[in-house]
Amino acid sequence: MSRIITEAGLRELAEAWLRDGQAVAGPSEVKLGLIQYRPITAAARLLFDGFVHPANSIKEFFFPRHEPLYRYRLEGSRVVLEDCEPPAVKQLVFARPCDAAALPVLDHVFNWDCADEFYNRRREATTVVTLACSRYDDECFCTSVGLGPAAEQGADAVLFALGGGAFEVRPTTAKGDAAFADRTEESDRTATPFAGPPRRVALPRVEFDSPVWEDATLECLGCGACAYTCPTCHCFDIVDEGNAAGGMRAKNWDSCQFSLFTLHASGHNPRHAQPRRQRQRIYHKFHIYPEKFGPILCTGCGNCARQCPAGLGVLNVLKAIEASHAEHLPA
Amino acid sequence: MSETNGFEPKIVAYVCNWCTYLGADLAGTNRLEYPPNVRLIRLPCTGRIDFNLIVKAFEMSADAVLVSGCHPGDCHYTAGNYHARRRWMLFRPLLEALGFDLRRIHFTWISAAEGRKFQQVIAEITESARKLGPYRPYEANGESKWRPAGLPPPKRRSGDDASLRTTARELLAEGKAGVVIGRGERGPVLARKPEDADRLTWNGASKIALTAYLKRKEVRALGKPAIVAGPADLRALNVLEQESQIRREDIHVIAAEGPGAAPPDFSDLDALLQLEPGERMAYWAGEFDRCVKCYACRQACPLCYCERCIVDKNRPQAIDTSAHARGNFAWHITRAFHLAGRCVGCGACTRACPAGIDLRLLNQAAARAAERQFGYRAGADPKAEPLVGVYSLTDKEEFIG
Ligand code: SF4
Ligand code: SF4
Ligand code: SF4
Ligand code: SF4
Repeated sequence: MSRIITEAGLRELAEAWLRDGQAVAGPSEVKLGLIQYRPITAAARLLFDGFVHPANSIKEFFFPRHEPLYRYRLEGSRVVLEDCEPPAVKQLVFARPCDAAALPVLDHVFNWDCADEFYNRRREATTVVTLACSRYDDECFCTSVGLGPAAEQGADAVLFALGGGAFEVRPTTAKGDAAFADRTEESDRTATPFAGPPRRVALPRVEFDSPVWEDATLECLGCGACAYTCPTCHCFDIVDEGNAAGGMRAKNWDSCQFSLFTLHASGHNPRHAQPRRQRQRIYHKFHIYPEKFGPILCTGCGNCARQCPAGLGVLNVLKAIEASHAEHLPA
Repeated sequence: MSETNGFEPKIVAYVCNWCTYLGADLAGTNRLEYPPNVRLIRLPCTGRIDFNLIVKAFEMSADAVLVSGCHPGDCHYTAGNYHARRRWMLFRPLLEALGFDLRRIHFTWISAAEGRKFQQVIAEITESARKLGPYRPYEANGESKWRPAGLPPPKRRSGDDASLRTTARELLAEGKAGVVIGRGERGPVLARKPEDADRLTWNGASKIALTAYLKRKEVRALGKPAIVAGPADLRALNVLEQESQIRREDIHVIAAEGPGAAPPDFSDLDALLQLEPGERMAYWAGEFDRCVKCYACRQACPLCYCERCIVDKNRPQAIDTSAHARGNFAWHITRAFHLAGRCVGCGACTRACPAGIDLRLLNQAAARAAERQFGYRAGADPKAEPLVGVYSLTDKEEFIG
């Protein structure tokens, strides 16, 4: 026996959240040929199928690109501080499994030496519903990082397309259960498993000192397109913004691919060339983060390759590393 | 009456030290009364007035902005006002494309002797701003449904791949080039070894301008570059040469076509300008709402070569780094203006943007002004004087009061 819901039922679920004044986000077509995760104001804007992966990730709904932490203003000679709060509303986020899977990975770093209240509160307030994939493109490599089209990590409920506008619902948490309570029907239809992309790379050993960085990543231009569309990249900068009368302190996205990221006040830059910055990105994802927290910092979503204007992306660099190891093997 | 009742506009006036400021002073000493709505900010010269200041004034709740300096011929620094005039001829069309209300932005010449003119100008501007009502920066009236047709797909190049690879292989093998910058199946290729030449193809993918690699330190370190250049790349090389960034003899150019003489297609820009200013602003507010400040647009651009971009300068922070409406508008206005008269229309910024923002339209607004006002097309002629670096006594000034 399974629980099923129709596409109309899913939209009705989203509408109900919106009617209650809560937030809903999911894949939506922002312009011809461009699908992004966006906050939506009408359930009709949600897309469930017909694309592989949105051009961004869901991290924006937990870790916004710009988050004011507190504001200050001058009253006479007194500085008045005012705390900022993340919005109090609940969120319903429709996602791909590779985006949801990033959340338990990110939980580690946002609760490591200090608990990031903003992140945690958004996380608590959010119900993540994933739709298991039924197609993939050349950039997808979830199956190479231990995930797959039906991965449940980070999801409160997983949907499986049954065809004919029906979805099987498998709640995985109490939040997911609550979201679908009274909205599903019993059925004897169950989803046929979908294997997803073939394994594209065996996760190679990442070496710090290797000619592969220069060989394979010199084309990188040092933009933030990969990091900013990646569900797991989470670097931020704390900035003060405003003037003598008032302003704020905010947390803004940052990326290790920018040349300024490691620039010292002295003018020295330990990562002085782009291949070193690429090395940092790969090394952090596949060596530093797992060493510190366990999981690797990549869900194989492929966005870094899809969005890289220079045709790079993590999968391509991993393949180059793999090939460089093979070169060194005796014939 | 009812609508303007109680509303007192704030006017920010950026004035030059030598003429208009003294004109204001004269108005004061002569007891010529003018509305107290104006905040004077004294700068050395109109030529020194950065457009960021105008944007900043609006961000900080100015309802109108005035820039005023010495009459032509009177500039204390000889020609600062001529430079300002020329820049405004490019800047105003850009603001127009963004949907700014140009009735809130004023430019005048007021000499040290014109206390009375200063009085009149301030009275007029205050009155007009009072009628226009309060200005809310970047406030969009709802959502715009307008969508540009977008960039056409790149044209197929006519070059022959086999001879391209032979040329590249020979250049690398004979040490005549340290790197051949070209396109491959997946994206740009920096061929460094003769065998890499086989990855090059005329019709490969690249969302970026190949000439963008010429600014990169790690690419420069490879020795003399050769570049597989399409028409836009050739135009970019011309601008880089005009701006003394490269010497042509230091670069080996492999090209199958010339820099292209066909006029750019401005049809999307025309359609944008058909919209009401408010809707234009709504369109951009919607687009910039997706901007995450990844700077792929800048990195992919052949002419964004500053070692430290103005947005990365933080002493003081001229542009908010936050990817909110204010920070994004300021960033895109500044970037487009810094490319006025320089953008070669390669489309790289628009192709590279992960958020699908049609940045090209902003660059086109300035590019078309350059064509119309000066018959100037960036990159067409490497010997031409850079448009914004020079001025002419006959530059039009119908917008100056
Ligand atoms: S590194 Fe690339 S593939 Fe991995 S999670 Fe980030 S964007 Fe996706
Ligand atoms: S890998 Fe690509 S997307 Fe990432 S910084 Fe480099 S050029 Fe930008
Ligand atoms: S590339 Fe697009 S998203 Fe990135 S900074 Fe430029 S406009 Fe914004
Ligand atoms: S179209 Fe203009 S602004 Fe955009 S990348 Fe090309 S030269 Fe730069």
